[in-house]
Amino acid sequence: MAQIELRNIGKKFKQEAVIENLNLTIRSGSFTVLVGPSGCGKSTTLRMVAGLERQTEGEIWIDGKCVSDTPPGLRDVAMVFQNYALYPTMSVRGNIEFGLKNKGVAKPERERLIGDISELVGLTPYLDKKPQSLSGGQRQRVALARAMVKQPKVFILDEPLSNLDAKLRSQMRTELIQLHKRLGTTFVYVTHDQVEAMSMGDEIVVMDKGVIQQADGPMAIYGQPANLFTAQFIGTPPMNVLLQEDMHALGIPAMPGVHYAGFRPEHAVLNPPDGTEGIMLRGRIATRESLGAEQIYQLELASGALVSVKTFLRPMETVEWAAAAIPAEALHAFDVRGNRVECSLNEWREAAGGGILTAAGAGGRS
Amino acid sequence: MTTAWDKLRPYGMVAPAILVFSLFFIYPIFYMIYLSLFDWNFVSPDKAFVGLANFRELLADEDFRKVLGNTSLYTALVVSLTTGISLLLALWLNRSGWFHGFVQGAIFTPHIISLVSISLLWSWLMDPEYGLLNGILGWAGIGGLPWLSHPDTALLSLVLVAVWKGIGYNALVFIAGLQSIPADIYEAASLDRSRPLTTFRRLTLPMLSPTIFFLVVINMIGSFQVFETIAIMTGGGPVNATNTLVYYIYEYGFRFFKIGYASAAGVILLLIVGVLTLLYFRLLSAKVHYR
Amino acid sequence: MKEGIQQAQLGLGKPGAGAAKSEPRARMRLAASGRLLLAGFNRACMLLLVLVFAMPFAWMISTSFKTLPETMIFPPVWIPRNLIWENYTAAWNTGPFLRYAANSIVIAVGILLLQMLTIIPAAYAFARYRFAGSRLLFGIVMVTLMIPAQLIFLPVYLELSAFNLLNTHLGLILPFASSAFGIFLLRQAFMQIPDELIEAARLDLASEGRIILRLMLPMVKPVLVTFALFSFIAHWNDYFWPLVMTTNETARTLPLAIAKIREVEGVATWNVLMAGNLILVAPILAVFIASQRHIIQAFVYNGVK
Repeated sequence: MAQIELRNIGKKFKQEAVIENLNLTIRSGSFTVLVGPSGCGKSTTLRMVAGLERQTEGEIWIDGKCVSDTPPGLRDVAMVFQNYALYPTMSVRGNIEFGLKNKGVAKPERERLIGDISELVGLTPYLDKKPQSLSGGQRQRVALARAMVKQPKVFILDEPLSNLDAKLRSQMRTELIQLHKRLGTTFVYVTHDQVEAMSMGDEIVVMDKGVIQQADGPMAIYGQPANLFTAQFIGTPPMNVLLQEDMHALGIPAMPGVHYAGFRPEHAVLNPPDGTEGIMLRGRIATRESLGAEQIYQLELASGALVSVKTFLRPMETVEWAAAAIPAEALHAFDVRGNRVECSLNEWREAAGGGILTAAGAGGRS
Repeated sequence: MTTAWDKLRPYGMVAPAILVFSLFFIYPIFYMIYLSLFDWNFVSPDKAFVGLANFRELLADEDFRKVLGNTSLYTALVVSLTTGISLLLALWLNRSGWFHGFVQGAIFTPHIISLVSISLLWSWLMDPEYGLLNGILGWAGIGGLPWLSHPDTALLSLVLVAVWKGIGYNALVFIAGLQSIPADIYEAASLDRSRPLTTFRRLTLPMLSPTIFFLVVINMIGSFQVFETIAIMTGGGPVNATNTLVYYIYEYGFRFFKIGYASAAGVILLLIVGVLTLLYFRLLSAKVHYR
Repeated sequence: MKEGIQQAQLGLGKPGAGAAKSEPRARMRLAASGRLLLAGFNRACMLLLVLVFAMPFAWMISTSFKTLPETMIFPPVWIPRNLIWENYTAAWNTGPFLRYAANSIVIAVGILLLQMLTIIPAAYAFARYRFAGSRLLFGIVMVTLMIPAQLIFLPVYLELSAFNLLNTHLGLILPFASSAFGIFLLRQAFMQIPDELIEAARLDLASEGRIILRLMLPMVKPVLVTFALFSFIAHWNDYFWPLVMTTNETARTLPLAIAKIREVEGVATWNVLMAGNLILVAPILAVFIASQRHIIQAFVYNGVK
């Protein structure tokens, strides 16, 4: 168990700054997920924590100790790599044992630890096999076992599930969550997949272009996105964002400081029953996708803007024109820089959500 | 985090190899250039500085010009025949399976056999009186050939031996090159209804050009320094018909002890090989690349 | 197939609809047998090709068992009347052959061992470390790779004579104590190992030496074997350097000794010469047959990288 603190971290590759002035505290015992598009600096941040990359500026503290000058092997950090990085010339046992040997752990103790760990992750029958002869899932377990056997203060996982097929991935996801609960160790997990981030993390750090966009619990990230980037990065399809002219066309009142209004596709009600309150949208259905339980439509508004609407457990709409109602409380407001506007949001919402759907409006645009 | 030892380690690790190269390759090159400017017989304590006299003497020497001509002709023949024949062989033999593997192994064999063995063996095969080759020619109703004993056929005989030794290796390199061409471009070509000859000319040959290039250059460099077959099979004869550069240097250095003169010839050979190598890298980086 | 034949026969008897159906089948059958014939012809041609390469060796073996008069029969005969094993003892006794063989082994193995010691660290450093001057130093390796040793024998001879190393094993070993080709080959192999593996080992608290010995070296083992075969065969076969660098028996190697048989005798005793030749060729040929695939790979490797 250990808290990790990144203080004013900066990182340059050659002359190019990848990360600038990054401050982050990773709670002890948390499952923290760093998520962002590729090239956002999340992997670099992770590798700096592990000590594989040296920060150009700032300090890294683990468990109350500054580790900026500590070599990777001595930071009490274990890592699971994207491609597992198993030693191909060693057996499964050799892979797990290598770190213990280097640490100078005595043989009987090593045997006991390897026995325990392989029992825990279900590798006992494969201990004498070479990693090449194992399946993807088994290799993943070897990588985990190799990390766990060192009983580190911090676990670092760099997109560990990206090489697995979809089914195995969701299974390993569950296993990792359970593992975290059992060990209670700090997990730092990197992924570009927001679904993975949401489903696994109890703390999510959204990054873009080397800057932390938001660090919070998953529900807060979803419910109160700090800016447009987070709003559109988390959730599928992403949050709809209306520009000022769209807002005007839809009768959403102007507010000082509000430049963008957003709502999530799943909050809009498609072809709502008469009398539904909210902001009314009408448009042509441009595309429809069905995922079985949920359906996703893209509506083309009169202004040409496209908005996504998601419905659950309803038959596919076949009509060409559709209306949608957005409940006032589902609206988010952002300022000119894309940052969330919180002040006087309620009055704004009240003023915006004035419309009531009538039968005449439901069928089409005019 | 990084200690002085960490900084020094790479140098320590390359030092032994670099020391060997410096002592036995780099320094000798400069030493040879230096020696080429002197008249020295290896035994006498002093060397007389003669400037470029050795080079002038070399270029005026009828024999040296003959040697240069021989070497160039030999190289041109060996390189073109080896490359051409082995490419055809590669196209013919490029299949997997035990039979093709066996054939490939068989034609490769001479490559790992000592040139001494090959030279002796072929001297015997080419023996004008009792040799197997003339035996076969006689059996086929053609008269025997003088092979190594006549100035007109001696150099060609050496070319034959070199080609025989070299084509197996060359063909296998070509096969490796052919196999590294992704199969899907052939599938695409056949969907585009490309005829086999067109496919070969427009796809295979260009894709193979780095391999062709590599082989031409190493065959050239190898042929320019041919020595063993000449030393064992002909001794440069008859009447200088097979005397080539390295053998010429060897004779002047070790038989006539004209160290400066032999060094000058060595410098000329060095220049030729150097130009060929440079050309190789120039052309290689310029265009022959498709991957 | 059988059905096809019946159909074809039916077609012959009954012109009309049946013939139209069966004719393409008959043609296909013809084409199939034609293809089979062609494949057979193709294989026969390949065997002929093999013969071009096998016959000289067969001739060598045949000659090595002949009497001297038998070698002087024209047109030549293939099978000697009696197997003359004495040719081998005669060849062996033209000089201290045990010594030559020992020299050959000591020199080829000595070169190989020293090469391993020098090329492994150098290749690793060139592949994995960034250090000032590395480009220049690697340039030296590349020049050495490109310049054939045969070109600079004269100055090297003078150098070795200055060190009093002529006619010694050391003199024949030292110039080849490292190999630019080996460094080049091994460097490629080291560069292909993913960085993640080394990072994982660092997190496992492995020292730099341990990473090289326990992790990296086992991974490039195939390339090392390849290079070892290449180097051993090249130096076992070498004629030029021992010829230039030795003047007496002390360090003379097998290829030199075999070539000398021809010069010693006044008459060309081809039977003895071929027997000696077989002594030289047999070990290499045996190794080749035993691990043909590996050796071919070793030699072809540098052609395609």
